[in-house]
Amino acid sequence: MARTVGIDLGTTNSLVACIDPQTGAPRCIPGPSGSTLCPSVVSLDPDGSIIVGEPARRRLLTQPGRTIYSVKRLMGRGVADIQDELKLFPFRIDPASKNVIRVRLGDKFFTPPEISSFILRDLKNCAEAYFGESVGRAVVTVPAYFNDAQRQATKDAGKIAGLEVLRLVNEPTAAALAYGLHEKRRGHVAVYDFGGGTFDISILKLISTTEGDIYQVLSTNGDTHLGGDDIDNLLQAFVHEKILQQHRVDFSPHSELAQELRKELIAIKHQLSESAAATLRFPLPGGAIFVQEFERGAFEALIRPIVDRTMGPVRQALADAKLKASEIEEVVLVGGATRTPLIRRTVQEYFDRRPHTELNPDEVVALGAAVQANILDRGVSNMLLLDVTPLSLGIETYGGAVAKVIPRNSTIPASAQEMYTTGVDNQTGIDIHVLQGERELARDCRSLARFTLKVPPAPAGLPRIEVKFLIDANGILQVGAKDTRTGEQRTIEVQPSYGISDTEIERMLEESIEYAEQDFAERQAIEARTEAETILAATQKALGTPQAASLTAEERAAIDSTVAALKESVSGSDYKLIRKRIDELNNATMQLAELVMNSAVSTALQGRKLAEV
Amino acid sequence: MGAPSTAKPRQGDYFDLFEIPRKLWIEMSVLEKKFLELSWKLHPDKFVNACAEEQELSLQRSSELNDAYRVLRDPVARVEYLLELEGRRKEGEHKQQAPPELLEEVFELNESLDELRDAKASRSDLASLKSRLESAEKNFQEKLGEVDAQLQETARRWDAAIDASASDTDRTGIMVRLNELLNRRSYIRNLVTNVAKELS
Repeated sequence: MARTVGIDLGTTNSLVACIDPQTGAPRCIPGPSGSTLCPSVVSLDPDGSIIVGEPARRRLLTQPGRTIYSVKRLMGRGVADIQDELKLFPFRIDPASKNVIRVRLGDKFFTPPEISSFILRDLKNCAEAYFGESVGRAVVTVPAYFNDAQRQATKDAGKIAGLEVLRLVNEPTAAALAYGLHEKRRGHVAVYDFGGGTFDISILKLISTTEGDIYQVLSTNGDTHLGGDDIDNLLQAFVHEKILQQHRVDFSPHSELAQELRKELIAIKHQLSESAAATLRFPLPGGAIFVQEFERGAFEALIRPIVDRTMGPVRQALADAKLKASEIEEVVLVGGATRTPLIRRTVQEYFDRRPHTELNPDEVVALGAAVQANILDRGVSNMLLLDVTPLSLGIETYGGAVAKVIPRNSTIPASAQEMYTTGVDNQTGIDIHVLQGERELARDCRSLARFTLKVPPAPAGLPRIEVKFLIDANGILQVGAKDTRTGEQRTIEVQPSYGISDTEIERMLEESIEYAEQDFAERQAIEARTEAETILAATQKALGTPQAASLTAEERAAIDSTVAALKESVSGSDYKLIRKRIDELNNATMQLAELVMNSAVSTALQGRKLAEV
Repeated sequence: MGAPSTAKPRQGDYFDLFEIPRKLWIEMSVLEKKFLELSWKLHPDKFVNACAEEQELSLQRSSELNDAYRVLRDPVARVEYLLELEGRRKEGEHKQQAPPELLEEVFELNESLDELRDAKASRSDLASLKSRLESAEKNFQEKLGEVDAQLQETARRWDAAIDASASDTDRTGIMVRLNELLNRRSYIRNLVTNVAKELS
């Protein structure tokens, strides 16, 4: 049976993890470079192939126009949503994008779920190489504060990558799962998750019951556009300004030079987590070198506004859980940005408690995802996760107001029934607008879907249609309708306002399989060619020995013709044909191999043949 | 799968689901224990490898469980749900209308709110207006507390009526009173929210 893995699809880095069959503990699977972190960077090679991870990250400097990072910021968002991001990130958006954004890499356009699917497929391949078995299902993590569209986009990415997404798990919840397993603790836990692009805070209650341990999320809050990226942007803007003042050098924030500078500044940021000062030396075009000394104090003053922005959601989450900071027994830090001493101090002071940092903050979410993947895979377990929906679900009413039908922090799955009828005789449809958010007016909330409820013609007020809004265990909306007079049930095809249709997903999946098959065929062809060359060389060598003279004329002719046929097939890319011709040559050289059995050269040929059997 | 399915369609209301009487005072620890017990049985995570029908049933039943827990845990939502079950919940025409005994105070409050909005628009002195509104807000906050106390008191009367198997007339009387209190509560709450919003 195909394997199930846990995947952390991060803004900066992505990871894949599994349960180690020997120890029973979760572990992250290293990629080709040996690191468990796969940079969430995708590049389109001029030859049309997709490059993911560390090699793609290097191309940020050499081929910025074909390479994209932090694509998670675009997931499930419309063109109007991302105008602020465009000032800070080198995203090249297709000006013809409608609801779903399309990003340009080189000469091609891709949707954010497609780009994410390339990362997922890379992780899938990496896990398959590790297991030597195929991987079919995955638990994928998302920021707890992701809305319906962002979750749907993540699920779509999984589908396009050829993975069955068993469950979307909230990142802080996954982290708590990893820690709970590790620490065996009970009580109230706060998870402060400051990642590359998103911030989440979740308050959980760990409960022991006779059946097992329950991880119940009481409340969650956050900001899906606040992360380590913002610290980098701030540093970059600061240095940019200095360079402009001192050297009169101005460069586009999207240029290769800007990417080079960003890379250096991220290194400075990391250094400042370890030491009190760091120096930037940055060569400018024209030979001048820009030098800037950073002290931790000044750095902290610069980034304090960003850190302070996380505390509003923290207070709100506590209020929603009806708890005081002093009632939190454990605090867990997640995300690479929590290595920053200022963040650690701020959290520690607020909760008056030393936060947990024992697990690697980059890996903890993936480890938790692997734990949940294992729970779901086995179907039975002594652990249960009860999560919540981060945002209230509402329906637009008269005058553009919103009626909340499922409040935020409701345990999911959650549902609400609303009764609808008609206002005029023979009205055939009722328009319904579903929204997500806490504001009172529809225009201030996030539009999830608009649809028209079909009604059989009848006098006004007579039809009775019950609409059921259901948020599933992934935090994704489903809508169903029932005519209460006829009892007729209907599922409603809800076209998400910022989503991709199922037909488009199908197409992308087909394309991505084509990519994958092409890749596979190419790999196979390369291997077959290498093998053919080895056997051709061995045959050549054997034909040069004195024993070869004992071959009959037919035997010799058969060898010569199969050699020619194999040589010809090698110039093509049909690996099946190459393999067939290798087999034919093997057969034709059987007699020759026997003849040279005792000679030194026979080893190569015979060894070859034995390996082939 | 040899084991019999735990996800079966269900009849009955939220009180039945938790196997508790249709009363308004609920022991929270009992409610939570039952909630966790049922979560183990019904949550979709337990049905990942089951057939599509079972998965759908688990989704329906676990969402109902969560909805029920959310409603019964909240004392006000609980009263509202009980009245709906009994067919006695009527928001109707009184929703936007001030309760008669509050009429004068509400009128004054609305005037002060209008003045505040005007003053904000013309950027004139807000301090005295603000302090007037703040004291009005406090006044209505207290009234909200009074309504909650009355709700609690009436809820106790309901439970006693159930225990004593009281007549339908008695029960109806209590429910009419509960309905009035709910409407009054939601009216005052809206008022407080509006004032708080203008003041912030």
